[in-house]
Amino acid sequence: MDEPGRPDGDEGAEGDLPEAAGRRLGGGSFSSGLTVPDFAACLQMGLRPVGLVQGFCVMQWGWYGAGSPYMRGMTPYSFGGSAPRGVYSESYRCPHGGYVYSNEHRIWGQNYQQPWVESAWGQGFGSAYTRLVEEAQEVGAHGVIGVVDSTRHLAEMNVTEFHILGTAVVVEDAPAPGGGTPWTTYLAGQRLAKLVEAGYMPVSVVAVLASVRVWAYCVTEMLMEGTVSVWGSGYLPVSEIEQLSRAHIAARSLAREHVRGQLGTDDLQGAQIVANTQRLSQGDEVIECTLRGSRVRRFKDFDPLPAPRPTVRLS
Amino acid sequence: MTQPPDLPKEAGHRLEQLEHGLFTSDLSVNEFLLIKEAGFHPLGFVMGSSIYHTGIQARRWNKSQELTKLTEAMYNARELAMTRMEEEADALGADGVVGVRLDVNYYEWGRDAAEFIAVGTAVKAEDGTSHRNALGKPFTSDLSGQDFWTIMQTGYVPQGLVMGTCVFHIAHRGIGQALGTVGQNVELPNFTQALYEARELAMTRMQDEANTLGATGIVGVRLEEKSHQWGSHTIEFLSLGTAVKKSAGEVTLPKPTTVISLDN
Repeated sequence: MDEPGRPDGDEGAEGDLPEAAGRRLGGGSFSSGLTVPDFAACLQMGLRPVGLVQGFCVMQWGWYGAGSPYMRGMTPYSFGGSAPRGVYSESYRCPHGGYVYSNEHRIWGQNYQQPWVESAWGQGFGSAYTRLVEEAQEVGAHGVIGVVDSTRHLAEMNVTEFHILGTAVVVEDAPAPGGGTPWTTYLAGQRLAKLVEAGYMPVSVVAVLASVRVWAYCVTEMLMEGTVSVWGSGYLPVSEIEQLSRAHIAARSLAREHVRGQLGTDDLQGAQIVANTQRLSQGDEVIECTLRGSRVRRFKDFDPLPAPRPTVRLS
Repeated sequence: MTQPPDLPKEAGHRLEQLEHGLFTSDLSVNEFLLIKEAGFHPLGFVMGSSIYHTGIQARRWNKSQELTKLTEAMYNARELAMTRMEEEADALGADGVVGVRLDVNYYEWGRDAAEFIAVGTAVKAEDGTSHRNALGKPFTSDLSGQDFWTIMQTGYVPQGLVMGTCVFHIAHRGIGQALGTVGQNVELPNFTQALYEARELAMTRMQDEANTLGATGIVGVRLEEKSHQWGSHTIEFLSLGTAVKKSAGEVTLPKPTTVISLDN
């Protein structure tokens, strides 16, 4: 099974759906999270909704990877950059000759990838996804369309909740799925119809996280604060903060790299890359970059669309 | 017009005016046109309200559990508001209510009390055929005018706005449990199961309502979560959608036309 985000070797939590899920899915009527236009397009394509399916996973969440093989001392990788092979890390040294040492003057800084955070995110997303697929299998679906996922941090409980939702569908007049894994896609309605017309079939949703921690060194911290030092009177000119720029570039690059690892020979459709920065304390930031999209596979040649009709709105 | 017993006198007066041909609605112009295109005519803006004291319920600090008293209160309050709105629509002789919005408002003067309000536009079929649901009541739906037109084209007809709710208390973690996972990012199965169960209960109840109406399915399902005034560990999971029923006969949907907008 293609399981987005799930680390290798993690089997996940199969067969652990709550009792209420079985009761709901065994009910007489279908439920669907599709909008009415998407519902109509779904019927027009020959897809019949059979139920709203979902998956959840609640994870304890923190930034430090205690027990992780990556953790060595206060920072994950010792100063000078001895990160494991394939893990991003780079160090920055104070350019002031080592004469201005103080608590306020950081003589070194580091950007480093946090594989333990990425792995935990993958586990949370992967478990929720597995449960969504289990529910889809339970209703005998061929696929799940209009998938929506969200991640919510419940600060007071120090936990993060992963939630994935979609509408399970069966293909009209097609043989019943023979126990295989249902396909999944973020697309629904006309966007899905156009994808199929273009000769692509959905395979699965794909979502990854890249996490890069930034420990600012003196120059970065001064530029972030906008002054030369806490006692300094001079304001700094507008200029690039190289350490932060490189961390952002690295986070996006890592996210793309992670996705490529899941695609195989398939393509990614509708990719959305979102980067968020969270400040943990002064000069200590986490850049998290999520990349999600629908993995698609070509199955036929492109059917040319008819010429569009020009329209003008009256409103 | 016979006024339902639990509607205020002013409602009766307003509804009488509506019976004489004047109609009110919160439909946009486009929605109005599409409702007419679907063969319906707006009769009037209808509403129902209920101010409900939700009270408190004892909960165990370290146990995840449904708070059934609060669930019942939230359910009954919305049901009362919906029923009163349906009564107004019934008094107008409507076939259904479209564009229903269901809101909860809190006021400073009422601690633990909330106003549940349901509003929508009553509509009636222009050809005189009845579109009431299996219970003989006007159908209700949160579909917009555009969505109402579209769903009618697919051969499905709305039966009712269905909902399910579940108020759930999520347990706090004990010191022992917290220490066991210090510094690790790991799944907390008890939390997962609690939140999962709560949402599934809400959705099951919504589906039960749809089955009572003899519906084929529910479209536009939304899952909402609110802690209201109970604190972060007590959450109401509300599931809402429009139950629809397949009408007799096969419908061939037209193939969509590709268009290019010349607007800015």
